[in-house]
Order: sequence, then structure tokens, then C-alpha cells
Amino acid sequence: MKQEIALNINGDTYELLVSPNQTLLEVLRDNLGLMGTKRGCDLGACGACTVLLKGEAYLSCLMLAMDAVDKEIVTIEGLGGRGNLDPLQSAFVEQGALQCGFCTPGMILTAKAMLSEEDHPTEDIIKKRMAGNLCRCTGYKKVIEALQSVSEQTAEEE
Amino acid sequence: MERELTVVGNRMPMLDAAAKAKGTAQFIDDLVLPGMLHGKILRSPLPHAKILHIDTSKAEKLSGVKGVMTGTDIPDRKYGIVPKAKDEYALAKTKVRYIGDEVAAVCAVDPEIAEEALELIKVDYEELPAVFDPMEAIKEGAPLVHADVQKNISASIRKEFGDVEKAFGESDFIFEDTFYSQAVNHAPLEPHGALAQYDPKGELTIWSSTQIPFFLRRNLSTTLLVPESKLRVIKPKVGGGFGQKVDMFAKDFCACWFAMNIGRPVKFIYDREEVFIGTRQRHPVYLSVKTGLNKEGNILAQQFKAYADGGAYNSTAPVMITLMGFFLMIPYKVPNLLHEGYHVYTNKPVGGAMRGHGIPQARFAVERQLDMIAERMDLDPGEIRIRNSIHAGEPHPAKFVINTCGFVDTVKKAAEGIGWAQKRGKLPFGRGVGMAGGSFPSGVSNMSHISSGAVVQLGREGAVNVLTGAADIGQGAETVIGQIVAEELGVLLEDVRVTAADTGITPLDPGTFGSGVTVRAGNAARLAAISVKNKLFEIVSEKLEASVDDLVAEKRKIYVKGSPDKGMTLSDALKAYQYGDHPMPIVGRGSWMAPTTEPTTLLKENGNFAPNYSFMTQAAEVEVDPQTGRVKLLKMAAAHDCGKMINPLLVEGQLEGSVVGGMGQALYEDVIVEKGQVMNPSFLDYGFPTAMEMPEIEAIEVETIDPLGPFGAKEAGEGTQVSPAPAIVNAIYDAIGIDFMEMPVTPEKILKALEEKKK
Amino acid sequence: MRLPKFEYVEPKSIEEACSILSDESSAKILAGGTDLLANMKHRVEVPSVLANIKRISGLDFIRQDNGAIRIGALTPLKRLYKTTLVTEKVPALSSAAASVGSYHHQTMGTLGGNLCQQNRCKYFNQSQWWRSAREPCFKAGGGICHVVNKKEICYSSYCGDMAPILLVMNAKVVLANKGDSREISLQSLFSGDGKTPLDTKKGEILTEIVIPEEALNSFSTYSKFANRESIDFPIVGAAIWSSVQRKEHRVSFTAVDRKPIRARNIESVLKGRDLSEEIVEEVAGLASKEAALVKSSNYAPSYKRRLMEGLLRSTLKEAMRRS
Ligand SMILES: Cc1cc2nc3c(=O)[nH]c(=O)nc-3n(C[C@H](O)[C@H](O)[C@H](O)COP(=O)(O)OP(=O)(O)OC[C@H]3O[C@@H](n4cnc5c(N)ncnc54)[C@H](O)[C@@H]3O)c2cc1C
Ligand code: SF4
Ligand code: FES
Ligand code: FES
Repeated sequence: MKQEIALNINGDTYELLVSPNQTLLEVLRDNLGLMGTKRGCDLGACGACTVLLKGEAYLSCLMLAMDAVDKEIVTIEGLGGRGNLDPLQSAFVEQGALQCGFCTPGMILTAKAMLSEEDHPTEDIIKKRMAGNLCRCTGYKKVIEALQSVSEQTAEEE
Repeated sequence: MERELTVVGNRMPMLDAAAKAKGTAQFIDDLVLPGMLHGKILRSPLPHAKILHIDTSKAEKLSGVKGVMTGTDIPDRKYGIVPKAKDEYALAKTKVRYIGDEVAAVCAVDPEIAEEALELIKVDYEELPAVFDPMEAIKEGAPLVHADVQKNISASIRKEFGDVEKAFGESDFIFEDTFYSQAVNHAPLEPHGALAQYDPKGELTIWSSTQIPFFLRRNLSTTLLVPESKLRVIKPKVGGGFGQKVDMFAKDFCACWFAMNIGRPVKFIYDREEVFIGTRQRHPVYLSVKTGLNKEGNILAQQFKAYADGGAYNSTAPVMITLMGFFLMIPYKVPNLLHEGYHVYTNKPVGGAMRGHGIPQARFAVERQLDMIAERMDLDPGEIRIRNSIHAGEPHPAKFVINTCGFVDTVKKAAEGIGWAQKRGKLPFGRGVGMAGGSFPSGVSNMSHISSGAVVQLGREGAVNVLTGAADIGQGAETVIGQIVAEELGVLLEDVRVTAADTGITPLDPGTFGSGVTVRAGNAARLAAISVKNKLFEIVSEKLEASVDDLVAEKRKIYVKGSPDKGMTLSDALKAYQYGDHPMPIVGRGSWMAPTTEPTTLLKENGNFAPNYSFMTQAAEVEVDPQTGRVKLLKMAAAHDCGKMINPLLVEGQLEGSVVGGMGQALYEDVIVEKGQVMNPSFLDYGFPTAMEMPEIEAIEVETIDPLGPFGAKEAGEGTQVSPAPAIVNAIYDAIGIDFMEMPVTPEKILKALEEKKK
Repeated sequence: MRLPKFEYVEPKSIEEACSILSDESSAKILAGGTDLLANMKHRVEVPSVLANIKRISGLDFIRQDNGAIRIGALTPLKRLYKTTLVTEKVPALSSAAASVGSYHHQTMGTLGGNLCQQNRCKYFNQSQWWRSAREPCFKAGGGICHVVNKKEICYSSYCGDMAPILLVMNAKVVLANKGDSREISLQSLFSGDGKTPLDTKKGEILTEIVIPEEALNSFSTYSKFANRESIDFPIVGAAIWSSVQRKEHRVSFTAVDRKPIRARNIESVLKGRDLSEEIVEEVAGLASKEAALVKSSNYAPSYKRRLMEGLLRSTLKEAMRRS
């Protein structure tokens, strides 16, 4: 039986009818058309489906939509303004930290969570936190470099 | 060029990078059409069996199911990427040949119902004896995977350059070694998919995660009996391919068939497991190499034998075994070569093109053996490579035309980058350095039908529209083409819009394989741009009273060479063109194929294989933990001669991705098969490297300016992945003194070997 | 890959959750879901009811009570390395938590869920279609085992990363059942039966993990060896706890048997002795005898044996250095 729920996504409230067995990923993509959240494996092993729940990095393919009720959800669509990019997004773009771009939304959101939790992450911490986001194109080097630059930038601004 | 380059050669983000970072770039699974249905494929759970009967009645009755199809519904037409090697039906007709072979397809109003419907299809099979190893499969009496292919050898090649027997007779040293290169999966992050739509006029449109829109169109046409003129293939953003999407799959045919028969759009998206089992993988190959050398360490002859485990179907079989042989002829001078290659069917997942396409397997064997030879002959591995390097301008035993070759420089620079002189043979036990060389064609020239076209339109306000058939799969082809056009027209990259890979709109292009895109499609786009520029220059030359030959276009301006003040802006020039009663927009067309002396074919004749060739050396430093067997790649110094780099940011990206990919093959990845069943068909169990495994990477440029490449460019896509794996395995030898002859070199194998060594 | 259908409930109290479990024979607890939902997608677990206990308050805490450290079952793993009480008093627990899966699993996964996770097997953690290529195995509802040719025994491995370190600290767990609760040793939570790895009574829910005070003042460490340095389950994991004063050294392993094991034989050899190079060598050779290694994963038993030895050696040596 479908149930009525409300989800708070990127600051908007969506009232929805969902089945209990729908994952948050399915609801974001299939019900709401928020296609920035990607399905790479559907089994919690690649990070492509990462979203932020109360600022933390969650795998939306291993999470029930029902379970996300009452939690602020941010997807890649929620970052940056209309025409502009969030500093993390700009860093990925300018430093070539993406190629095919399929892993990118997940990468950026994991990075967002990490940077909000870690003050001055070392390279080792950055790698550890990002390791759940697989990328087959970049070899990760430019991803790590982009994150280092953003983290240094925020440190300077503080 | 009459001036400094302003766009080409710059580090520039991809044209679509911002869309990708914002999550608005549209991949196949992001496309939704009104009334769209969802398809799923039923796959064989048996490695080899006759299909006796398929009962789809229950599935058809399930509410929400809109269609069920089996092999008997479709025309009796096989498909295949290589015309002469077509051996696959969209859905099996009478027999299944591997666990994963496609048996039936359903479509339904939602994916959940489609999944349920699959469970309701009942298939009666009669199991047949199966064969899982190519060396077993070629024996007399082995089960035949395809009844008409004796000994399961579906393609073979025997190619001799020079006189091998004689050269071995003259050799001072002869070494013979055998190697094995395992199956690895491309594992692009984006699973494969297709979405097809049919309109009542009889036009069929398919969006597909493909690297080869035009080949797909041709195969759809011949299998589904729809004229090519009624078929439009569109490539959306593709989330990585690495060669796995250089093929077509059941999802393409079934989406089209359902769309045609039901009249509603139908989308298929594969699960990760299907990508692992039911698409393509790098061929596992058994290799033996016999090498004869003189006392100085010059190679006199090589005899090479390869048995490729092709799995149940051909895919690129004949091409793969051919590439493997021909590219033994670079980067080293092999005056006499005998190559025998066999593609053998087994009841296993299917091999196909993967970054390097046969060449990495061959390179693994040769580069490993070179190190072993150097050790036995007491030569430095760098030295033996330099000594045997081919050189630009020299006559080539296979008639390749090598206009530029930076190989020797790459050896030296990679060695320098890794600290070779200080480290090789001098590090404590458990640590070592190793190197491997490589070379790669920038596309192929001796298949005469391989050419690319481009159209460039210059409109009001200097807006440039480029139409190209090139298939960007994340490597940045559209950006590179945009840069080439912008450079030629003297505009900024941001002025250029690239529309690509839509067979209904864009000119013919073979697609993304063989690393030919930058050179082939880039040259086509450049010619189109030049044609536009010439038209504009004619008018401008009148206005400026200067000769066309003296004009230069740069940064949205056209001026007389040497006197930048004597000129006009591009938009003024366009106004002049338009008000001079010349029709707008200005359209230029270009097409390009590599020059060939005579049309040759892949299998038969010698000749120049490619317009140009990239060269590279990778040098690795590793650390081996004797307690756990873990090999940590500490650093890779990668020196690459890819001609003029159109966009160094993207070239580096290719290199870095290849280093980690090559490390995956050397140390981590293996498609494990037990009785025909893939045991690790998931990201979790397959385990390709994460950010934690990433080594330090030093990308070193060795730039040459190639006469045939656009602005001097050569390939930078696949060549980068031929040498990292052998470099790592060579470094392991330096670290622990053990020669590994097969990949992956897992901790398990290291521990075992160390234990045996102790005994 | 869709989830199977089920009824979803959000009990508001532990009692309510317990009665759902005892009323509905195939009901399951949903904590972080990172283990359970993957198994459900594979259809190796198909509960009729999912009781999401994350809406129950008071199961997510870390505190010190009379010396003992008490951790609520719903505490996310990440909290274990982000909370000073844990990083200071039981750093080995922090590093074990940081070794689980990836950052995401550490964020979503709970300590209770980690301890209660399903056993793993290469023939079991696969999709329904994949498994249809073989006869259903005993654990998946059939009669045979593809790993060991014996009827009605399951040799799947317990692969959790949190159990070993808690075992060597003699941790206890609190199980609640409809208004009632009992405290048992963590070791006795594990049945050793591959088919039903947990030895709990119907309706019981794990609410708390208790680390006794005596465990806190001695050296302990967890060492995990996996294919990659992130995401992957351990191929072998080993924990030790070592008290110089008491001349007591405890050893445990994960991913080598049907349950996480304490290496009792090695412990008795070490009992009353100071650690030395010789003793380390002596017991390293005994490591693999502690476990019943089978081919339940893609890693050979012989390799796991070598790893058990290697990890034991390196952790004991670390203990020697630290004390
Ligand atoms: C890709 C991937 C990699 C992983 N890698 C690792 C790894 O390296 N190491 C590792 O240990 N794990 C790993 N895991 C498994 C899992 O993520 C962790 O074990 C996690 O800690 C499980 O916690 P959870 O809260 O998500 O459990 P859940 O999935 O919610 O629950 C697991 C099981 O425990 C039961 N349960 C949960 N809480 C309770 C309770 N309070 N009382 C009684 N029963 C309960 C559930 O009913 C279920 O059967 C991995 C998972 C994935 C998908
Ligand atoms: S050990 Fe045997 S019974 Fe248990 S899950 Fe594996 S195959 Fe099934
Ligand atoms: S899609 Fe969720 S982790 Fe891969
Ligand atoms: S950019 Fe392609 S997977 Fe990361």
C-alpha cells in the first residue's frame, strides 16, 4: 500500500505517495525527476547516489524514502544558485576533476559533507572520506587536488 | 599557423563540465518520455543449453506488462560490430551459450512490474556440456559453442614480417616465456541503457549509451529490417565507456523492437550485475613470446602466440587478435616477427574492445619479458628499451610510417621521474622500481571506410555551430573539437557550440574507438573551419585591401599579419559579409580519413596502420608488505608523447585515469569465473581501486608536432593504459625478486610466492 | 534492483518494536539499513515487516557509567571516532569504526546493526537471478551447501568489523524484550550457526553495548586486511587486547569462521607471559588453528591462514612496542 509522506528536499516540501519499498533514490529520480542523483550500482558500493541528510553523506540507494521523512535532504540540484556554481562545483570544473561526470554529483556531495565536518582535512583524511565514491575516469588525482584547494580557500576565508 | 596558438594547447575545462557538476547533464537513464515503458531482460542461468520451450503466458497476463518478446519474434538476423564476424542474436533463438545470454525481454509500466514479469517466464532448457577454458576448447571433441565453428576457433591470424626462422638462427640469445593476462571489466560508472521511440511515420529514434552511433544504426537496420534512413541514433551523455560501449546489446534491439510494436517509448537500463556479466570484458589471453637477440641486446626476431578466451561470441574478435600482432611492431624495432593469434569461444562472458584492445595483453607479455631478458643479459631495462626503439623516418618492417617518435625521450624522462638511477636494484627488500614502454595508433588508416565528417556554421554575432559525429564519452572529444574550430576561426571556445553524435543531424563518424577521434574527427572539423574562414577572408581581404594569404583570425578579430591595427572585429566582418549580399550563415564542410597509399585491409596486407602513433613509458615505484602481501603503488611517472596536446588538462586526466586503471589490472581486478558463472559481478566484490589506492602520479610531457594530426596532435586515450600494468609488475620484481607471469598480482599470490621462495 | 514488498512500521518504543518482532515471525529490525537492504535487494532476506527503530529515542548515546562505557545500539559508527570519550578511552574502537565500509557506511551504519549483520558467502550475497544458476543453498531456503558438501549446515562467514575489538574487551550487550531486558556477553550473542548467526530469543532487540571498565586501561588494537583500503569487508580482521600488569593477552578474529572468534588456545599459551619476539612467533603459527576456514569467499583458506598469522604477528608486536 502506498503511503502519503512529505519530504523536504533542497528547501522545498514535496507531498508524495510512495510505496514502503521505494528507496530514496527511486523517489528522487522516478517520482520527482531530480536526475542529478545517479544510480551506479544500487547496492551501496559506489557513492554515485550520495545525497545530504542533515548535512551528512547518505547513500540514497540503501535508504527507504519513508526513512527520509523529517530530514532535510540536499541533492546536487540544491547546490549553487541558478546560474552560478558552488565553490566545490567550480573547483571540479576548473581543475578537471571530472570527465564523464557520472560520479561527479555524488563526489561533490560527499565532499560537501566532509568539508563541513573536518576543519583542515589532511590529504589522507580527504582520501579516506572520498574513497566510497568510485570514479573510473579520473584516477582521483584531480578530485583530491580540487578538494584540497577548496579546503585551503575556506581556511583562508576564516 | 601564422601566429601563436590561443585556444589549442590551453588547459580548459570541458564544455559540459558545469552541467555535469550541477547534475543537469543528461545521461541515458535521465531521459524520460511521455508514456514511456520500462524494459528488462531475462538471462540464461545456464552456461550452455538448448532452449526447448519458453512459456511467456503468465508474464503477459501480469497487470502492467505491455509486451514480452523472445528470440522467435525477431527476424533471423545476427548482429556484430565486425561485419564478417556477426554471430549474435538480440535474443537467443535456439541455444544459450553463457550464463547471462539473453533469452527474453519484457516491458511494463514500471520497472518493478517488469522485474516481476521476468520471474513469471518459464524456460525449458536441455543442458549441454560446456567448456570454460580456451585451451580445453580447442581440443578435439570439446563441446562446440557454435556448432559451425570447429575447435571453437572463430578467428585466427598468422602473420609474418621478415623471416623469423632465419633470424632466430642468427640470434645469440633466445628466450621463450609464457604469460597470462586476466579478464577485467571496464566497469564504467554508468550502466548501459537505451531508450527507443517510434513515430507513426515509421521513424525510429533511439538514444543509447554508445560509443558508436553509426555502427549501431547500421546493425539496427540490418537486424530489425528498418532502413537506415528511418533510423536515428542519438548519443546522450555517456558515463564512461572504455570500449565496453563499442558494441551493441540486447537493450538496443529490444527497446527498438518494443517501441515499433507497441507504439510507446521503451527504456532499458542494465543493472550493475548485467554490466559485469552481460556486456563485454577485456579478453583473457594466454600468451607465449619467443625473442631472439644479438649480443648487444638488439631484438632480431620475435615469435608470438596468443590464445584469447573470447567467451560465447565474437564481438571484435578478428580485430582484437590482429591489433595484438601488428602493434608488436612498435615501439621496438622487431625486424622479423611471427604472430599467431586465436580467438576461442568458451561458455563464458564475452570479450570485447577495452582501452588498448588486445595491445595491453601483448604489451604485458613483451614488457615483462624484456625485463627478464635484461636481467639474464645483464642489461639495464631502460637501456634495452632505448637500444631497440624505433625512430621517426626510418623504414619500418611492417611499412608503418612513423613521422614523429618521442619514445627514447619518454624512457629517459620516466626514468628520471621515478629516480631510476638511484633506485633500480638499490632499494631495500620490499621496495622496487620498474618500467614499461608502449605505443598506440591514433585511429586506423588501413580500413578504407573509416572517415569522419564535420560541418561548421558561422552565424550572426560570431556564433559558431559545429556538427560532428564524434562520440564524447567523457574524455572530452567535443571540447577538443571545439578548441580546434575556435583556434582555426580565431574565436573563443565559449563562442563555439558543438552538436555531436546524432545520426539524424551530424555527419558520419565511426565513433570512439581505436583512439582516432582527435586526429580524425579533429582534422575533419579543422577542415570545415578552414573552409568557413576562407569564405569570410575573401570578403575581408576586399575590405582591408589585403591579400587573403596575409590575413589572420585571432581572438574574434581578423587582421593583416604583422599589423594587428589593420583589421576588423569578427562581428564587423560578418556584417560586411552579410550586407555584401552573401547568404548567412557561412557553412563549411570537412571530412577526413587517414591517407592510405592503397586501400588495404586489416588482416591481409602490410601498410601504414595509422595516421600517427603515440609513444609512452611509465615507471612505477612499489612497496610490498611481506606480512600481508599487499603491493602499494607509491608512484607512477608517466611520460607520454601524444604530439601536440590540444588540451593538457584533458590529456593529464587520461593519463591519471589510465594509471589507476592499469594499477587495477595489475594488482586488484579479475573477473572470477566458476563453472561459467561470474563470482564477483558487483562493485563490492570486483573491487576496482578507490581514492585510497591512488598513487602519486607525475605526468611528463614529451611533445612532438606531428604533421598529420590537427595542430600536431596524436592520440592520448588508450596508449596511456598499455604500459602501467607491466611497469608495476616489473617493479614488483625489483622489490622482491619474483617474476610474476600473470595478473593480477594479488597479495594472495605474493604471499604464496614468497613462501615458496623461502623453501 | 528493487526492494521486495513489505509492510513498514515505525515503532515509537522499544516495547512496541519487540512486540512487532514477536508477533510477526518474519519481521526485521531496520537500523542503518546498509546491510539489510542490500540483502533484501538480493532477495536473500525477505521480511514481511520492517520495523524502523530509528524513530525510537534513547538508543543513540555514548556515556560512561560507573566506569563502564555504554553505547546505544543506534549510535552511528562515525560517532565512535568523532566522540572524544571514545577516541580517548577506547581508541581501538574508534579505529575499528573508521575501518568499516566507506565514510557513507560509517555515517549510516549503526553499531548495533554492525554487530547483528548477516553472515556472508560468495553463493549467498548474489542476486536472485544469479542464484538461480544453482540449486538453492541451505541458508537461502534450500537443502544443500555449495561450500562444504554437507547437508543442512551453513558455513557462511561472519565478516563484521566491530565485533573483534569488542570481544577482546569482554564487552556485553543488552537485549530488550517487551519491557524486559538481559545482559549477556557479546560472545554469546553469536550462535556459530551460519544459517541463523545470532543467538537471540524471539522478539529481542539489541539496545546497548557495554565495555567494562577493566578493559579500558590496557592496550588494544584492531587490524583489518581487505582487498582495498576502503569499502571492502575484511578478508581477515584481528583484534588484540593486552595487559602487561595482568600478563593477559586476548585475541580475536573476524571473517574466518561462522562467528567472530576468540582465539582461546592462543590466549592460554600467552596467559601469564610477557610478550616477546619468540612468543609472538610461537603463537603466530597457531593462529589458523583457531578457525574453521572454508571457501565461502573468493579468497582461499590457505591465504586467510597466512593473513591470520601475519595480522596476529603485527598486532602483537605493536602491543609489545606500546607497553
Ligand atoms: C558496500 C558495502 C560495504 C560494507 N563494508 C563493510 C565493512 O567493511 N565492514 C563491516 O563490518 N560492514 C560492512 N558493510 C555492512 C554494513 O554497512 C555495516 O555492517 C553496518 O554497520 C550495518 O549497520 P546498519 O545499521 O546499517 O545495519 P542494518 O542493515 O540496519 O541491520 C543489519 C542487521 O542487523 C539487524 N539489526 C540492526 N539493529 C539491530 C538491533 N538493534 N537489534 C537487533 N537486530 C538489529 C537488522 O535486522 C539486520 O538484520 C558494508 C555494506 C556495504 C553495502
Ligand atoms: S555456506 Fe553454504 S549454505 Fe551457507 S550461504 Fe554459503 S552456500 Fe549457502
Ligand atoms: S548507486 Fe548507491 S552506492 Fe552505488
Ligand atoms: S568522471 Fe567518469 S566516473 Fe568519475
